[in-house]
Amino acid sequence: MKRYHLLIVDDEQRFANMLAKRLGLRGCHCDVCYNGQQALEMVARTDFFLILLDLHLPDIYGVEVLKRIKEISAMSPVIILTGHGTEEDRRACMQQGAYAFMHKPLGIDELMAILAQIGEMSP
Amino acid sequence: MIDRIRRAFGSIWPEFYRQNNQHLDPYFTFTNYRKIWAIGICLLVVTALVPLLVVTIIHYQLLQSSVDSELKLRTERLASNARRAVTYFMEERLNALRFTVNEIAYDQLTDPDHLAEILRNLKLGFGGLTDLSVIANTGAQLAYAGPFNLEGRDYSNQQWFIECQKYHFYVSEIFRGYRDAPHIIIAVKSFRPDGSIFFLRATLETERLIQTLSSYETGAHAEIFLINRSGIVQTPSRFYGDTFQKMSLPVPAYSPRTQVALAEDDQMRSILMGYAYISTQIANTPFILMVIKQKAGMMQVWQQLRSNINWFVGLCTLAILVVIIITCSYMVNKLYRADKAKAEAMALMEQSNQLATIGQLAAGVAHEINNPLALINETAGYVKDLFVLTEQYRRDDELIGYIDDVLDAVERCGTITRQLLGFARKFEVKISKVKLNEAIADVLVFHHKEAAYRNIKVHVNVPEDLPPIETDRGKLQQILVNLVNNAFQAVDNGCILDIQASPAGADKVCIVISDNGCGMPEENLPKIFEPFFTTKEGNKGTGLGLAITYGLVKKLHGDIAVKSKVQEGTTFTITLPIRIQEEII
Repeated sequence: MKRYHLLIVDDEQRFANMLAKRLGLRGCHCDVCYNGQQALEMVARTDFFLILLDLHLPDIYGVEVLKRIKEISAMSPVIILTGHGTEEDRRACMQQGAYAFMHKPLGIDELMAILAQIGEMSP
Repeated sequence: MIDRIRRAFGSIWPEFYRQNNQHLDPYFTFTNYRKIWAIGICLLVVTALVPLLVVTIIHYQLLQSSVDSELKLRTERLASNARRAVTYFMEERLNALRFTVNEIAYDQLTDPDHLAEILRNLKLGFGGLTDLSVIANTGAQLAYAGPFNLEGRDYSNQQWFIECQKYHFYVSEIFRGYRDAPHIIIAVKSFRPDGSIFFLRATLETERLIQTLSSYETGAHAEIFLINRSGIVQTPSRFYGDTFQKMSLPVPAYSPRTQVALAEDDQMRSILMGYAYISTQIANTPFILMVIKQKAGMMQVWQQLRSNINWFVGLCTLAILVVIIITCSYMVNKLYRADKAKAEAMALMEQSNQLATIGQLAAGVAHEINNPLALINETAGYVKDLFVLTEQYRRDDELIGYIDDVLDAVERCGTITRQLLGFARKFEVKISKVKLNEAIADVLVFHHKEAAYRNIKVHVNVPEDLPPIETDRGKLQQILVNLVNNAFQAVDNGCILDIQASPAGADKVCIVISDNGCGMPEENLPKIFEPFFTTKEGNKGTGLGLAITYGLVKKLHGDIAVKSKVQEGTTFTITLPIRIQEEII
């Protein structure tokens, strides 16, 4: 398996770290940040294979973050992973070019399946 | 048999009478419809029947008094006429005698041959005379003409002779006398040229008088007869004593005029008694004319009329009662139905409000739970990862099993929170034309395998000509998926699932999904659309499927109803409008 470089953006620090550890065990390299501003900075610096983005961030709302990520790096796939998703959020995110809109809690196998899918599509 | 009667009565017995909607009771405006019905009937009966009965009674009294006075009048008229006839009978004969004594000389009168000649002429002229005699002042008979040989008799002690000496004219009672046959004596006193007195006496047959009286008798209920002043019956009477017997009625008091009175006879029969004291212009007579009419007989016409009125009033009363009962039942039933519809609407509204509140609450709870749930998921997942990666624990199935339990529980919680969020979601309705047969076919695609595997027969019956409806395809499919899933969970292997669609009125369609599975007890039916209500054992159901379905149907402006019987199956009926206006959603 390729060693994917992922970014996990979530204000729930323990969750983000834990997910990073688990994905690490599955051969991914994960960066973690806990707010929108930090995420944007990291995206600007690094070209991630995949970005896992929460909506309810302390500084900037997730949809806005997504929009700005897409402005910086249009090709990076973004998966929204939220515990609070409403139908409006889902529609807005899909319009902004999110790859998928997932609800917490999400099984690791499901996430890995999506990773594999993206892996197959990417050159 | 009893069941059949009960069923038959059930259909005509008003709905409110077997009011059994306990769950709707708090929403009813009126509680006791039987009481309203009974009060209504009583009021209407009183207001409708009392005037009718009062008018009937007043009419009876008026009729009775007018019939009475009419009867009195008739009796009086009859008595007057009969009185005139009897008076005339007597007067005529008295005048004939007076004329004879005044016209014919004493010598000629005392000549028996001449007297016989006079008698013959009188018989020819008036009739009813038997014999004629001339009697001297001393009471000795001077001359006699007639069939009885009474010559030379002395009448000086006879009652009639004494009376006649006093009053010039005399009319006797009817009596038998020497000849032993009923007769009347009339006598006239006269003077000879020398001033001495003599009497001309005639005997009258009673037959003529009786004939005259009976010619006035009309019908079987009236009789006319004569009595004397002490109440001895003079001419034959059918009911009130034989001739020369005392009359069974009291003797009426003297009156110069014809009188009529209501009375009762000795056998307590109601009678009209008309009477008149007979007196001629020149002499009093001892006779009282009695006209007796038995009221019962005379009242026959009136009684017939009364019976007709009774029948009429009876039938009217019956008709009024029937109309009142039917009208009252109908109106109260209408009221009951309107009230019931209102109560149902209120109950439904309350249920909807409850659903909406629960939905909002559930969504909030779901939001707050999802994050800690995700953390548990990842932490437990990481622990499992560590175990799996560590040689020491990899083969410890029990340990891995515990972790899997935690992960399963998390997944289950995740499912619930997702459904709760879906339940509260404010979703948009996208309207397009949907063909019901296609929509149903699309839904059933997902169930082909399970149906084949479990040997469940699915019958779909959607008429080809059923027009497409304008609605939200996604939501309609969601509704169908939920109900079909529900049915698949309720039926045993080898059962039948039936899906039908048909037009319901001009602007609605009806989709019926029925199974012959385990069914539900009736007491559960009102609750099955409530969130978290489930009958599925263990952890199989979240209790949200039907609540979500209910919400979706309402979003599409439709209705959903359920019927179920334990061990017989369940039927869901969805009614959807053919067209929904986007702007009102």
